[in-house]
Amino acid sequence: MSREIRVVRAWGPVVEGEALVMKEGFSPRYDLNRVTGVITRIGQSCEGQSVKDKVLVIPTTKGGVAGGWAFFDLLAKGIAPKALVFGKLNPVMVQGAVLAGMPIAEGGVENGLLEIASGARVRLDPANARLVVL
Amino acid sequence: MLAGDEGEAVREAIRFQVEVGRFFGAKRFVPITNVHVMGDIEVMGDGGFGFLKAVVLKGARCRVPTDSNARCMHFDERADCLRPDKGEEAKERQVVSMLRDMRVATTDTCINYQTVYQPKLGEHVAWGDTGTVIYANSVFGARTNYEGGFSSFAAALTGRTPAYGFHLDEARRGSIAVTLEATMRDVADWGALGRIVGHPNQDYFAVPVFEGVRSMPQSDELKHLGASLASYGSHAMYHVVGVTPEAPTAAAAFGGREVTSRITVTDADIEAAYRAYRFVPAEKNVVVFSGPQLSLFEMQRLAERFAGRQVAPGMHCFATTNHAIHSDAARLGYLKTLEDAGVTVLQGVCFYILQRLTEIRAENGWANLVSNSGKLVNTITAHRFNTVLRRTDECVEIACTGVLR
Repeated sequence: MSREIRVVRAWGPVVEGEALVMKEGFSPRYDLNRVTGVITRIGQSCEGQSVKDKVLVIPTTKGGVAGGWAFFDLLAKGIAPKALVFGKLNPVMVQGAVLAGMPIAEGGVENGLLEIASGARVRLDPANARLVVL
Repeated sequence: MLAGDEGEAVREAIRFQVEVGRFFGAKRFVPITNVHVMGDIEVMGDGGFGFLKAVVLKGARCRVPTDSNARCMHFDERADCLRPDKGEEAKERQVVSMLRDMRVATTDTCINYQTVYQPKLGEHVAWGDTGTVIYANSVFGARTNYEGGFSSFAAALTGRTPAYGFHLDEARRGSIAVTLEATMRDVADWGALGRIVGHPNQDYFAVPVFEGVRSMPQSDELKHLGASLASYGSHAMYHVVGVTPEAPTAAAAFGGREVTSRITVTDADIEAAYRAYRFVPAEKNVVVFSGPQLSLFEMQRLAERFAGRQVAPGMHCFATTNHAIHSDAARLGYLKTLEDAGVTVLQGVCFYILQRLTEIRAENGWANLVSNSGKLVNTITAHRFNTVLRRTDECVEIACTGVLR
């Protein structure tokens, strides 16, 4: 049975994919090897996993302005995530997502956003501000 | 601009800004007076490189004074152990050339607020490095959001930015109450404080308010506090009551906003922050003074500490600064003192953004990275260093003895 999570705000086209759910704040510079697309920060909850084609579900942001270019470059390298869903975000993530044409959303923690399991299929519908766990 | 009357580059820039502004519910633009852009090949990659090339070919020109953030390469043959890829080096040189074509003054610095431009209270700017943003908002009372990637370039091309976040009064009010009981002895203490406050409160729109500061903090101390808060907490502004311009009193700093978190920081908390960083046993390690680049007075103090000493076998030691301070440090003799001691001083770069850093770490066999920068020990971790925060004196001692403590 599918479950719907309301988000506060979102941008971009509808996208569907497999969730990769992090337990801590994220920065593409601090946590990600941007050549391979694999999370490399020692002890990060998704260490060793690739972000390619995933819908990243992330509680918060750390830093950092690297995201402004990073998502566009990950796309050019063919190792980009499909979408970004943050509990709380900073403007760089939006700026980077808009440049890359990558759907992005913020909010939904109180509606169970962070209880989604990694590996679950999810659909982000930005125009209607909702994330559906399929 | 949207109609393309001012060229295709401006049209693309304003379209981009409209999309970002809409996300945050911006109702208008604000004119800006200054831009700080971040564009280097390490973070842009081939994707960003191609994008920037296309923008330049469309005739992009900055319409307000614009400078550049630190680069990812040092262009210094002497620092062979930090060698970049030749191919990427050629691209980085092209990036610099393109920035100049766009009318960017390539200052290559993440401390523009100490050496290039100091905006005034209430002045709207568009700065693209977190440490610069938090310093501008907090210490100058200027107004800027994080403007990452193309966002800062877009602001430079249009001369405006969407009015959301820290351009508006309501975002600038304090929401985290910090009582500082600790005695602050070193810039690293301020970085540790940034970690203690920022890490459990990761929220761009949270604004810490510090009370209890017993002596007037210097620019370098506020720089390390801000850089660390921005790194751990993604914060873009803080107040220090009685010190920063929008906090003459605690009441003014909070402005009636709800306090979501209260923290008291003692000497024991600062010491615990240091103890949380543990060394791993290793023969080869590196001590780095960077992140942000060093001011002239940091260079002076570092030269005094290294005078007559030598970096120990098995250790590497680096400091980074911008071109302007490097030049002054050479003139004043600080550079020679540091180089005589075996410290490699890089200009125009910041250590954690060096291109090919994962490979550089492996080639040199470095395990521990020791620094007095609370920011650096957080930002560099994707490259799998074991990072350790220590006070400046301890960093110098570790560099010169090789003893990890």
